[in-house]
Amino acid sequence: MIVDAKNVSRVFSMPAGPVTAVRDVTLQINNGDHIAVRGPSGCGKSTLLHMLGCVEPQTSGTLLFDGQDISRLSDARRSLLRLKQIGFVFQRFFLLPMLTARENVELPMSEAGVSKQARQTRAAELLEYVGLAPRADHRPSQLSGGEMQRVAIARALANGPRLLLADEPTGELDEATGAQIAALLDRVNQAGTALVIVTHDPALADRAGRVLMMRDGQIESERVR
Amino acid sequence: MNAIGFAWRSLVRQPARAALGILGVAAVGALLFDMLLLSRGLIVSMQDLLDRGGWDVRVSAGELPGSGLRIADAVNTAEEISKLPSVQAALVMRSATAQIDRASGQPLRASFQGVTTRSTDPAASRLRAPWTILRGRDAEAPDEVVIDEKIASESRLEPGGEVTMRASCVADLEALPATRLKVVGVAEFPFQTTNESTTGGTLDALKAACGGNVGAEADLILVTSKGDADGTAAAIRTLRPEVRAATNTEVVGRLQQTGFTYFRQISTVLTTVTVSFAVLLITVLLTVSVNQRLGEIAALRALGFSRMRVVKDVLSESALIVGIGGLLSLPLGLLLASGLDRILKGMPGIPVALHFFVFERQALAVHIGLLMATAIIAALYPMRIVSTLPIAATLRDEVIG
Amino acid sequence: MWLVPALAGAQEAKPADVLVSRQLAESEGLAVGSVIRLSTDAAGTRAREFRIAGIYEPTPDPARLGQVPRSVRLHLPDLLEMTRPVDVPAGAEYVSSVNVALVDPKDADQFAKDVNARLPGVLALPAGEAAGSAGPFRVLERFHLAIAVVTIIAATVFLLALSIMLVDERRETVGVLRLIGLPVHRILVQILLEGLLVAGVGAIFGLILAVLSEQLINQFFQWRYDTALVFVRITRDVALTCVAIAVPLGASATVVASWALLRRGGLRLARR
Repeated sequence: MIVDAKNVSRVFSMPAGPVTAVRDVTLQINNGDHIAVRGPSGCGKSTLLHMLGCVEPQTSGTLLFDGQDISRLSDARRSLLRLKQIGFVFQRFFLLPMLTARENVELPMSEAGVSKQARQTRAAELLEYVGLAPRADHRPSQLSGGEMQRVAIARALANGPRLLLADEPTGELDEATGAQIAALLDRVNQAGTALVIVTHDPALADRAGRVLMMRDGQIESERVR
Repeated sequence: MNAIGFAWRSLVRQPARAALGILGVAAVGALLFDMLLLSRGLIVSMQDLLDRGGWDVRVSAGELPGSGLRIADAVNTAEEISKLPSVQAALVMRSATAQIDRASGQPLRASFQGVTTRSTDPAASRLRAPWTILRGRDAEAPDEVVIDEKIASESRLEPGGEVTMRASCVADLEALPATRLKVVGVAEFPFQTTNESTTGGTLDALKAACGGNVGAEADLILVTSKGDADGTAAAIRTLRPEVRAATNTEVVGRLQQTGFTYFRQISTVLTTVTVSFAVLLITVLLTVSVNQRLGEIAALRALGFSRMRVVKDVLSESALIVGIGGLLSLPLGLLLASGLDRILKGMPGIPVALHFFVFERQALAVHIGLLMATAIIAALYPMRIVSTLPIAATLRDEVIG
Repeated sequence: MWLVPALAGAQEAKPADVLVSRQLAESEGLAVGSVIRLSTDAAGTRAREFRIAGIYEPTPDPARLGQVPRSVRLHLPDLLEMTRPVDVPAGAEYVSSVNVALVDPKDADQFAKDVNARLPGVLALPAGEAAGSAGPFRVLERFHLAIAVVTIIAATVFLLALSIMLVDERRETVGVLRLIGLPVHRILVQILLEGLLVAGVGAIFGLILAVLSEQLINQFFQWRYDTALVFVRITRDVALTCVAIAVPLGASATVVASWALLRRGGLRLARR
């Protein structure tokens, strides 16, 4: 089991009063899981994803990652966890514009202390994997939306994470490009990486093994394919 | 990619912005450097001027040499001083105002410095005059004189020529007969001011030029010690309590408390203002730059970049801007200093050889230290922004925005 | 002059009056009515007793900054009597300068010319010209101006950098406006008005800061040098000059920074 979340909640203190974004969610993620999280806007999908990615602390409940209680870890340990065990793919890609595709992919490995040779080899492999080997030396401004997202996926896989979290990965892409990204994510999952995708896209959700429907901060239903 | 490499890539991503930031630091840094040069420039320059002549103790009647008071019975006083065990030589100097007749037009106003060139001890060697011979030789006889470059060029005189001079040793109101003196050399007078002309010769020549109307007084006795200037000054004070004996360092110290103090103060004020200005401007530059990249920074944090790493990135960016700007500020500062020095040397009474801005290693070290502090302090607020950045909330805001 | 130790018992029946500076009074513990002895040398030669008739604040002299003005004011005949060399008969002393206050100060130039023509051997100068262009304070004025010019250049460079960054933040907004159909000059006018507003407010804020600094600097240096000299003075002309420089600079920087942006197409600007 990678993630064991029990009754986790997240409450935001707002000037107009507290807002419960996630309420008493219990969830387990195992190796190789492919989970889609769906629901209307504001139901807490992204907040749940951020909590699973150790980016947003829970207000209550327990969240164990690989048996470790996340709330007891220091910020540095959580950062290390994200660096080596978790990969993130964002709706807005968030590639660094001043780096090439190759350098963007190498970035997490560089931070993890991987040697230059090993980084370069792995970056080349990943770009090949996502079908962008010929564009390795191009900057994000020279890539299309779909290409940027593929680079972002390659970057997320750089340190071989056990869990890949994707927040609306096809949100800024057209249907055809979105399908390409969906197929790529499938391949990532089939290679053994657990995948949790937050999406509004029914086609993307249908490819998942488990689909969680959220409403008002809670998991309303779970469908297993 | 290490923090510096990352910071470099961030800078070159927006070359116009980076270039302007660096140029701004260079300009401010140049001013800062100049203020540091100014803070001790006069002192260092004056010390060098005083030490250059080889005389390390100055004996005068007033608090400072050149105060207008005269030493009574100067020649005998100098003889007594020269007999002190720690004294190598003592030279008497007396000044007079003079007018040099010119064939064409107005007479040239000048000063005449008369010095003793020999001790009464026949075995003692000739005393070195407090000027440097550029051409010809030094004046030795009562009818010989050395002139400065200004007189030489305006009167078209060279060694071998003659001057007609009317000197006054008592008051400007005296009307004296002209004295003809042979020009034997052209010299550089270290304390000569920009608008001044100076001639020099023996004390006997001065007396002759003043029509013999010279008392036993003198303006200054210059003393060379055998190595212990402080001890020599103390011995002179014991020997003759009515005079003031000061080592070169003490003279500079007194000047520091009076005329030089303004420049030290203005340098301190402007250094403070400049550093504050630089800190403020770089802080704003970095803060705006960081605020424009919050999404990227939050994404990097989500990917696993530690808090320390993103903070180091901001600090490295600050270090690069200030470092490159600081390097450029040095030649710019030296150029600016030469211009400012020229402006300040326009003040009346400033010797030509005196400089307000003098390069010292200490000033460079302080400059580097201040720039480093500026880079760190300016980065504090943006570092705080990135270190306390709420990752999830920022990612959410980026999507909504 | 030297202030020499008083002798036990008064030496003169009616000592002449003198004024002493506040600084001298404070350092020597003197008060109005005290009797002091003044001499022309430290040995006390020709020392005379005087009664302190008053304590005055010396007119601040910038040329003597750093020197604590320990001074006394005597009646001229008393001073001449004390300082006359023994071989100079009374009445044959000389003074170094005479200050003249005219009924109408505008007559200064003509008065100086008349004196120079009638009295050879003296030099009369209107007070404002006494120093000439090489006077120390004129030189300092040029020095301060040079510093100000460098500061303005540095500030302008930084201002341009900041303007470029801030304008870049509004790139998308400007792109959308262009796509909607607003012409370049219309947007530039908008930017110029905003620049003028920001520069105007900034200039006023800067003036307020300058006035506060003026107080602080003067207070500090007056304490430091124990003087009433005013070191910084922000006059109406200085304030107007600063605003006249700052506002156009600020507005121009915004326009210059925007110009490069507006030359690009609207679609390119609006695209993320």
